[in-house]
Amino acid sequence: MEATEIDVRGCRLHLRRAGRGEPLLFLHGAQGLNGSEPGLDALARHFDVIAPDHPGFGRSGDSDLIDDASDLAYFYLDVLEVLDLDGVHLVGHCIGGWVALEMAIRSTARLGSLVLIGSAGIRVKGVPRADMFVCAEDDLLKMLFAGDGGAAWIRSWRATPELEDIYDRNRAAAARYSWSPRLFSPKLDRWLHRVDVPTHIVWGREDRVIPPAYAEALQSRIGGATMAVLPDCAHLPHIEQPEAFANEVTQFIQSRSAAR
Amino acid sequence: MKVFAFHLMPYAHLDMGYAEKYRAAWVVLPNTYFDPKKGHELYNRYLDELELVAELGYDGVSVNEHHQNAYGLMPSPVVMAAALARRTRNVKIAILGSAFCLREHPLTLAEEHAMIDCITGGRLISGMVRGIGAEYYSMGVNPTVSHARFQEAHDLVVQAWTRPGPFAFEGKFYHFEYVNVWPRPYQQPHPPIWAPSTGSTETIEWAAHPSRKYVYLQAYSPIQSVARYLNYYRECAQTMYGYTASSDQIGWSTPVYVSDSDQKARDEAKPHIEVLFNRLLRLPFEMLFPPGYLSAKSLKNMRSHKRSVSGQEHTVDSLIEQGIILCGSPDTVRKQLMDTHRLLGFQNLLCLLQFGTLPRDLTERNIRLFAREVLPAVQTLTDKEYGGMEVRAAE
Repeated sequence: MEATEIDVRGCRLHLRRAGRGEPLLFLHGAQGLNGSEPGLDALARHFDVIAPDHPGFGRSGDSDLIDDASDLAYFYLDVLEVLDLDGVHLVGHCIGGWVALEMAIRSTARLGSLVLIGSAGIRVKGVPRADMFVCAEDDLLKMLFAGDGGAAWIRSWRATPELEDIYDRNRAAAARYSWSPRLFSPKLDRWLHRVDVPTHIVWGREDRVIPPAYAEALQSRIGGATMAVLPDCAHLPHIEQPEAFANEVTQFIQSRSAAR
Repeated sequence: MKVFAFHLMPYAHLDMGYAEKYRAAWVVLPNTYFDPKKGHELYNRYLDELELVAELGYDGVSVNEHHQNAYGLMPSPVVMAAALARRTRNVKIAILGSAFCLREHPLTLAEEHAMIDCITGGRLISGMVRGIGAEYYSMGVNPTVSHARFQEAHDLVVQAWTRPGPFAFEGKFYHFEYVNVWPRPYQQPHPPIWAPSTGSTETIEWAAHPSRKYVYLQAYSPIQSVARYLNYYRECAQTMYGYTASSDQIGWSTPVYVSDSDQKARDEAKPHIEVLFNRLLRLPFEMLFPPGYLSAKSLKNMRSHKRSVSGQEHTVDSLIEQGIILCGSPDTVRKQLMDTHRLLGFQNLLCLLQFGTLPRDLTERNIRLFAREVLPAVQTLTDKEYGGMEVRAAE
C-alpha cells in the first residue's frame, strides 16, 4: 500500500492507500497497523482502501483536539471532507468500530455502508471482557488470537526499532482514548437508531476482548443490521482470518450495491 | 537532618502462597485474602509503632496512600494522620503522599489536609503523588494524562489553600464554580509540599521549579539510582532554573534495620524484607507501568532501572549490596548514612522501620535501637558535612 500524509485540522495524518473502486475507509483498533495486515490487502482487490493511523497512533501526529472516540469521530468526518469522499464504506475494528459508530450517529451523509469488526463502543452489562492492558504479553496474544498466530504477529512488531516504538505508542494512544469508561461511551447506546446506512457486523467467535454477545447487542440496536461470526478467529479477523474477513466485507458491500 | 519514621502498614498476614495463583499483590489479588479481624490488630499495632516513634526523638512520622493491594493498607492516609494527630504532640505528621489526582474531587483531600493542619497546629507535611501505575487500574483514572492531571490537581489544591474564596477553578480536568475551602490550613501560606517519586524525570523537573522548590523524596531504589535522581534535582535547579537547590529540598526514603551485629541484623531482617520485595511488591511491568503512564523516554529509562527493583527475586544480601536497604549493626548503619549523606547531602531521611512481615517485637526493638544509637548522630548532620556535587564528580 502507498503511504501518504495529509493535514487535517492541524494534525498530521499518516495513511496508506491501495486499490481501485469505491472508497473504503478502514479505522483500526487498539493495536494499530504495521503494514502486515493481509485482510486489508485482500480488500484492495475490490476497493480503494484508505487506512489511516489515528492521531496519536503509528506515524500520525498528536492532536490536542482529540481526547476520546467522540473527538475522533468529528475528526474523521472532517477527514472525509478533506479527501472529498462520498458513498464511503466505513469499516471499523475495535476502537475504530467505536469511532465509526460515533461518526454514523452524527452524520451518514458521506457514508455508503458500515461494517463493524469486533467493535468497541457500547457496554453489555454482565458480559465480562478480558483486559488487554493489564495482562502480560503472552496472555495478550492468547486473547487476541484463537489459534497460534500471535507469535508471528508480535514478531511483525519487532521487525524494526521504529515499529517497536510504534507498538508502545499505540498502546498508550489506545489507553488515552479508551481507558475509562473502558472501551465504551455510555451515551452511544442511546443514539444507535440514527445509524441509517446498511450495516454488517463481523466478529471472531473466540473474541474475549469484546465477546460475540456484543455483536448480538449491536445487531439488535441497529435497524436491518446483518451479522457473521467467524470460527477459529478471535479479536483480529483481518489478521487471523484475512480471506474470510475480506469475503464478508466484500460480499456484504456488493450485495447491497446489487440491491440498489 | 530531619529523620522521619515511615510506615507502609502492609498486610503482614497475607497467605504468601497467593503468588502461585495470582500475578500480583495488587489490582487482581482478591480482597478475600484480607481478614478484617487481623486487619484490626494490624492497624492498631502499626499505630502503636508510630506513636512510639513520636516519643523517641524522631522529627516526624509518615504515612502514605496505596489502593487495592496487600503492600500498604492505607487507601486513605488521612485516616491514619487523623488518628496520629491527637496521639502525638510535637512531631511532624507527613503524608507522603496523597494522590490528589486520583480523585474526581481533590478538594475533599484539600479540606482534610487543612483540617489535620489545624488540629495539629501546623504539624502537617503534604506530599503530593501521582499514584503508582497499578492505581490507575484500580481507580479507573486514565494513566496517559496522569502528569497533566497531577499538576492541575496540585494547582487546584494550592489555590484552594491560598486564594481567598470563593473563586471559580477552570481547568482541563477539574471545573468548580465555588472553591472556598473551610478550614484554611494552619500553616501559611500552606503546609510544606513534598514530591515523593520513584524517579520520574517530569516529577523531578516539576518539583525543582523555582515557583515550587518542593522537597523531592526519592523512594527506595538501588543507591546508584538514588544518587542519579537526587543529583538530577540539584542539576536541574542549577542548569534549568539557575538557582542552587538547598539540601533541605532533598530527601531519601529507605528501609532500615539495625540489630546487635551485622550478621544478626541480616538474619533477623531476611524473611521479612524478602517478603516486602518478593511478595508484597510483586508487580508485573504492565501493571506497574500502564500504557502512557510514563513518557516514551521515561519508559525506556525505567525498563532498565525498575526491573532491578521489582522484576527479580531479591535476597537480603542483594538488597544490601545494591543499597536498596540499610541493614546492620548501629555502627554500620550510622556510618553508611553519614557516608551517603556526604555524597548526596539529603537533609530529610525517611526510615521504613517496619517492613513486610517484621513482627511487633523486632519492629519495636528496631525503632528503639535506631533512636538510641543512630538517630542522634544523623540528626546533627548539616550541609557542612555534604561534600557537594564536585566531590561526587571527583569520585
